Amino acid sequence: MLRKVHSLCRQRAPAIFSRVYSTDEANTNSSSGAGNSSSRGAGGTKNATTSRLPAIRNPFAAAQEKTKNTYLTMVEIFQERDVHRRNHVEFIYAALKHMPDFGVEHDLEVYKALIDVMPKGKFIPTNIFQAEFMHYPKQQQCIIDLLEQMEDFGVMPDYEMEAMLLNVFGNKGHPLRKYWRMMYWMPKFKNLSPWPLPDPVPDDTLEIAKLAVERMCTVDLRSQLRVYETSELKDALDETWIVSGMSPEQSKLLREHNRQKALYIEGPFHIWIRNRRINYFTLRADADDEFLAQLDERQLDEDDVSHIEVPFFGRAPPRRHNQLGKLRSVHQQDDGTIFAICATGTSTKDSLLSWIRLLESNGNPIIGEIPVLFRFTSTVPAKAQEIEGPATVPATSDNA
Amino acid sequence: MQSLLRQGHSLRCYCLMGIQAQKIHTTAIQSTFWEREKKSGYKTKLPEPSKKQLILDGFKDLKEEIKLWRQEVKEHLQSDPILVFRPGETDVVFDFKAPDVLDKWTVTTDADHGEGKSTAALELSASGAGLFHGEVSSEHTKDGIIKRTGYANIRTKRVRKSFKREATYDWTQYNMLIMKVRGDGRSYLINLHTEGYFDLMWNDIYHYVLYTRGGPHWQIAKIPFSKFFLSSKGRVQDRQGAIALNKVTHFGFSVAAKKGMDGPFNLEIDYVGLEYDPSHREEFAYEMYKTPKYIVAT
Repeated sequence: MLRKVHSLCRQRAPAIFSRVYSTDEANTNSSSGAGNSSSRGAGGTKNATTSRLPAIRNPFAAAQEKTKNTYLTMVEIFQERDVHRRNHVEFIYAALKHMPDFGVEHDLEVYKALIDVMPKGKFIPTNIFQAEFMHYPKQQQCIIDLLEQMEDFGVMPDYEMEAMLLNVFGNKGHPLRKYWRMMYWMPKFKNLSPWPLPDPVPDDTLEIAKLAVERMCTVDLRSQLRVYETSELKDALDETWIVSGMSPEQSKLLREHNRQKALYIEGPFHIWIRNRRINYFTLRADADDEFLAQLDERQLDEDDVSHIEVPFFGRAPPRRHNQLGKLRSVHQQDDGTIFAICATGTSTKDSLLSWIRLLESNGNPIIGEIPVLFRFTSTVPAKAQEIEGPATVPATSDNA
Repeated sequence: MQSLLRQGHSLRCYCLMGIQAQKIHTTAIQSTFWEREKKSGYKTKLPEPSKKQLILDGFKDLKEEIKLWRQEVKEHLQSDPILVFRPGETDVVFDFKAPDVLDKWTVTTDADHGEGKSTAALELSASGAGLFHGEVSSEHTKDGIIKRTGYANIRTKRVRKSFKREATYDWTQYNMLIMKVRGDGRSYLINLHTEGYFDLMWNDIYHYVLYTRGGPHWQIAKIPFSKFFLSSKGRVQDRQGAIALNKVTHFGFSVAAKKGMDGPFNLEIDYVGLEYDPSHREEFAYEMYKTPKYIVAT
């Protein structure tokens, strides 16, 4: 039952206390005419007598220079303004809201500075009734919301924060419970991904492309990541980079590929590197059905008991078929054989053509003998159309 | 940790009518100690078909249901359960290459109740597998109630016996979840619903993350059931425990537009299967501390 009550309490609480700190704009309106405040309903509790509410200036919206330093200075100014620190809950909510503007939403120090605004010792319950009934609920909910924002942005608290919260709310405080939950789960989830990424992800597209191709190539440990420049080629139109991923096994598959069967450059598909998206292209061919069928032959259905063959009578003992035969490569998927993956700086047809030429001159001369076709049918139709471009260039076939 | 929370609200409107201020109370009634129905206020009222149509449909269903019931009786009398689950063998539960597979799934997004702008669909992909795709957006209708949005789900329909009796999956013999998927580098949430009898347990879901590699290669994800943790209404619970595998009612995937990941998503699913791995002895992956009274689960 407790779990239930808890969840309800959580659901209700923010609604009661989630008054939004009004912005400058709203304040100017309210000072100009108190009558229209009811229709706007910004504060939620305003009525005809609202004119007596103090006009609150929002320093975060008005700040000229939006940096971490100014942010911390404003918090400091608020702390030192007067002894009572009136409206500190509203101040913290406003500060939380404007964090992304200042680019400090991932900074633990800033969150600590905000918690530090709370007076120490004042909100600690002194008897069991206070402890049970959420002593100073508005203040507690405010810090719970702060911790929730940290959680949303993936900022993990540290032990100093625990000490700060203990000083403010005591060990029965709800923010402490939230903190302990966070410190239980967040370290467990933090490094869970089998493909770890730098935090934050670099802004440079080339770096993201490298991360993306590297990640896709983890399927084959022998894969090699190469960064080409189209300027290496003589008559490339686009001056850009190409990140290409290919393994020796893929080169081998390409060498063994039937000359009559075309290769396809497909794309653009996208891959997410945390919150960045990048387009990539693949060089692939249709699946080698003959080979795959041959593999299937070897798989006997061991559950089928309808005709068990006795090895002693009338036939030779069962042999493993094709024991020295070819093994299926990881690149030979059911829906096609993948030879290479790339991401280019411009994602244009010309850059892809350069990619093929670069692959050809870098250890895969076989590409010159196989027809290579472009196939821009992808999940990013707009992009595909853009690459396809005007119909002046013959789009379908290109013997690179 | 995924918290897509619907905030209860009380909106008061003060209208100045003469001197006397009149209150119009528009608060939705919120029962605090019990849930009226399983959807917690999100039930969409669909128009009921006519009585005649209901009778006709009933007879149509009856035929199918009796067939199902006969099968059940037959299985019961044969009494031939699988007793040995061979290690390393995957038993497929949700096969996307099977016919009519898409009818077994429900797609939901935050846009269903006007709380967001995400779109999603479950279709068959070019390679014949199931393709869960769409676009998640954290942009939401600014109604003052919704705080965070941006999600899309797929979920199987409730498993049932004949005559529309609710049943559960029994996966107690297995300890691994196997999925053959092809993603786009996003991480997806695997949801195992263990809907209970009481309203407290209606929203019990066990979660774990499905990290996808991205790229053109298929990936086989093997996740032990011991890693799944309990949450209710998007909140990870304090009192944890290993999932009861004989009480699984639904299976699903979620994707969220969290941390600036607004945009398209693509998850191609070939199959979802189960496996028994004798080398995996872990029962529950998370340490169970003795916790102080009146602090946890409050």
